[in-house]
Parts: sequence; C-alpha cells; structure tokens
Amino acid sequence: MRLVLGSLLVALLLNLLPWSGWALLLKPDFLLLVVLYWAVHESRSVGQTWGFAFGLLMDVADSALLGQHALVYVVAIFLTQQLRIRMLHLRLFEQALHVAGILFVAQLIYIGLNLSLGRDFAGLALLFGPAVGALLWTPLHAIAVLPRFRRRGETVML
Amino acid sequence: MAAYQDNFFTRGPSPLARLTFFGLAAIAIMIADHRFQALGIVRVAVSSVLTPIEHALMWPGQVARDIGEYFVSKDRLLAENRALNDRVLKLAAEGQRATLLAAEQANIEAVQQANARFQRDGVVAEIIRDARNPFARKVIINRGYSHGLKPGAAVIDGTGVVGQVTSLGATSAEVTLTTEKDQSVPVMVLRTTLVAAPTTPSGAPLLAAQSSATPPADLAASSTAAGDAVAAKVPAPVAAAVVETKAGLRAIAVGTGRDGTIDLPFIPVAADVQVGDQLVTSGIDGTYPAGLLVATVTVVDKNPAFSFARIVAQPASAPDHFRFVKVLQPADKATAYPTPDAGVGDKSSADKTASKRDAKLEAKRALRENR
Repeated sequence: MRLVLGSLLVALLLNLLPWSGWALLLKPDFLLLVVLYWAVHESRSVGQTWGFAFGLLMDVADSALLGQHALVYVVAIFLTQQLRIRMLHLRLFEQALHVAGILFVAQLIYIGLNLSLGRDFAGLALLFGPAVGALLWTPLHAIAVLPRFRRRGETVML
Repeated sequence: MAAYQDNFFTRGPSPLARLTFFGLAAIAIMIADHRFQALGIVRVAVSSVLTPIEHALMWPGQVARDIGEYFVSKDRLLAENRALNDRVLKLAAEGQRATLLAAEQANIEAVQQANARFQRDGVVAEIIRDARNPFARKVIINRGYSHGLKPGAAVIDGTGVVGQVTSLGATSAEVTLTTEKDQSVPVMVLRTTLVAAPTTPSGAPLLAAQSSATPPADLAASSTAAGDAVAAKVPAPVAAAVVETKAGLRAIAVGTGRDGTIDLPFIPVAADVQVGDQLVTSGIDGTYPAGLLVATVTVVDKNPAFSFARIVAQPASAPDHFRFVKVLQPADKATAYPTPDAGVGDKSSADKTASKRDAKLEAKRALRENR
C-alpha cells in the first residue's frame, strides 16, 4: 500500500511540473497511467473512487473546468476494470497495447469535452500523448515490481 | 492466483454502477462549475494545498535559470542598461505630462461627478509558469489575495495589456491572456481618438451633417453593440458618417485562442480602421483603465460582400518574454450605464440618476451574493 501511495504521489508531482509548449501536448498523463496500473494490479483497493478524487485534484491543478479530468479518469478505470483479467494473462507488450487504447479513449473524451466548451483544437500532438503513455507501461511495471523482487528474492516474470 | 479470487468476492456496487454514479457526479460538477461558477471555494481550498508543492517543483528550474543569469555577458547587461536608461528618460517626460493630465482629469471629474477611470496603484508580480492546460491561454503569477489582488483586475506588462485575473489563490493567481478564446477587452482606435475635430467625410457631407445633428449618434458610438444596431438599420454610408464624425472608434477586442492574434469583430466595412492602428483600452467597462495599449492592427480585410470587416490585430504584450507584470486594482465602482434622463448640467436630475444608479448597483450586488 505504501508503494501504491508513493507511486501515485510521484506521478502527481510529475504532472505538476511546469510543462509547456510541445512537451505539454506530448506529455502523457502520468497520474492516470499509475492509477490504471494499480487498478490492474491492486484492483481491491484502487478503483473508480480514487480516479474521481485524483481527477478533481488535477482539474484544480490544471485550472481546468472542475470535473473533466474526474470523468476521464473514471471512464478509463472502468475500461481497465473490464479488461483487467484479460490483461493479466498477456505479456507486457500486449498489455501496453490495451493501455494505449484506453488512454486514447480517455484523451478523446478530454478533447471532446474541451471542444464542446468552445475551445480550439490545441494541436495534433495531443493524440500522441496516449502512445507515449503506453510506452511507459513497461518501465512502470519494472519500477513497481522492483521492491518486491528485492525483498523476497523471487524471480518476477516480465 | 489472486487475480481470480477478486472477482468471486467483489464488494459494493458493480463497476458499471460505479461508473454511472461517478460519471453523473463529474458531469454535475462540470455544470455547477461552468454554468453557476459555484465551486470557487473548492478550487481555492485545493489550490492552497497544491500551490506550495508547485512552488517547490519550480525550484530546480529556478536554480538553473539563476545560474544561467549569473553568467550573462557584460555586453548584454550594458546594452540592456542603456535601453532601460533611454526608457526612463522617455517615461519621465511622459510621466510629468501625465501628472498634469491627471490634475486636469480630477478637475473634470469633480465637476462632472464621474467615477474615477484612472488607476494609480498596482501590485508587481512575477509570472511563474504557464497554466498546464493545452486548451487555455493562461499564466500563473506569484501574487494572490493575501497580497490584495482582486478578481477581475487588469494585468499589464512593459508594453501593454497582458490580461485579467480570473482566479485567485492565497499566494498565486491565474491570469487569462487577451488572446484566450472569447476573452474580450473594450478598446478604441488611438489614431481616431487623437483627431478630436469632427471632419466631414468627403462624398457624404449631407449625411454627416445629419448624423451629427441626431443625438442617438453619441450613444451609438459608445458601444459596438449599439453601433451595430444602427449600422444594421441604416445604409452603409450613414454608418460611416456616424463613426467618422465621432472622436475615437470604439470596439471590442476578442481573443481567438491562438497565440499572437486578436479579432475585432462587428466593425462596419466602412469604418476608419487601418493597418498599424493602435488599439487602446477605452475604459468603459470599469475593469481596464483607459488608455492602455492592447494591440496593433495587422490585417484589415474589407469585403463589401459582408456587413463587417475582418480585422485582426497583434497583441502588444508578450507574456512569454517578460517575467514581471503589474496587476492594476479594478475600480471600486464600474462606470454607470447612462440613463436616458441623465441631463447635462441639470443638478437635481443628476442627483436623482445617481441615487437610482446606486439602487441598481445595490440590487445587482444583492443578486450576486444570493448566487
């Protein structure tokens, strides 16, 4: 549980870095990625409630309309919960493909919400954020299993 | 494997039920925030927790920048120093003239009992970062309500209007730039403001005389909306005459959501706007003090097929080049909307309208508080 909380906090801090310009458009949502990871691997404790709470936090941090990240996170976690058992049987690479799909749907909802508010499309680079996020799935897994690996001396199937 | 056991012993409502619940909650929050601006207090509470963390995260970048600045070349510093000195000299002359003008203004205001339009004091703030929202043109400054900032305050930098304070935290505030989509600033064209003498436009002397004789022309030019109404009713030459006989074309500059462009919608094709015209705040909204440079006109496309010209301007301020801005406090009272019976020179009727105006303001304030 300490690992879960700690990783979520680190992801939040990464999101809070002063991103701007191209980096902002390409930046994957680190917090969403980590929440999804734990929704797969710690599904008993991390669920939609967490997504909702962290989503509201990100809305305030990004000075966005309150509730839009919350909606995006909740939908993404719901999709992950539906695909979870299937994902656990797959290799990491195949899991990442699933994650890319989920993140893409989440990004589409986010863009759609902003367009419906009458804002202009910020740039095609926004559509690549999910791909970058999916690339981070394998390193994320490696980091997440590292403490367990060290403590028990078990081999972890990558 | 634990993965299977979870599903046999699920607790609480099903994922779909949760999705419905949280989804509806999120949508309700969005509506509450967008339509009624009801959740400002939640925002302030959460942001007061987040702001110190964000400040801490700024620290490595800050250190890197400080180190970089330490090794700035002497040449650059000297050049900068010289430029600043020139600027001080130029501003000193302007400042002295402004003092004189301010005294005259105070005199006129005392006579006319008008609300003060010019603001003197402000708070200097540093832009600490862009808002991390790719859909919004906003910057965050390091001053908040604990430094006396008020929502709606105008923000300027060394070259012109930057934007407006739209959200306040304890030690930080969010400034919406003038280029943000649908962010509007009431402006007037400086060139036509300076030419105070009413010139008869060649070709339509009769119409011009007509329009200057009719009193509604005064009201019409005072706001674009009213100006449009007139322009829609009368043929184009008359509208032109209305505009040109007035000192100063008033308009509303509206942000486009793209960097570096501001639109000037609803300007009649025949209006006197040229490329290179400077747009300054007109001050009629009571938020921006009059006379601040907002933008310079870059494109004037007058196609007679449309009733309005397409006018694009480039904002004067460059928030990505400046680190420091000044937040001007908004006037306590907005300039009152002129009532039809506000007679000039008639003392008793002026008093009456003043009290009426106060009652209206009171009612508005009460309404706002009830919300």
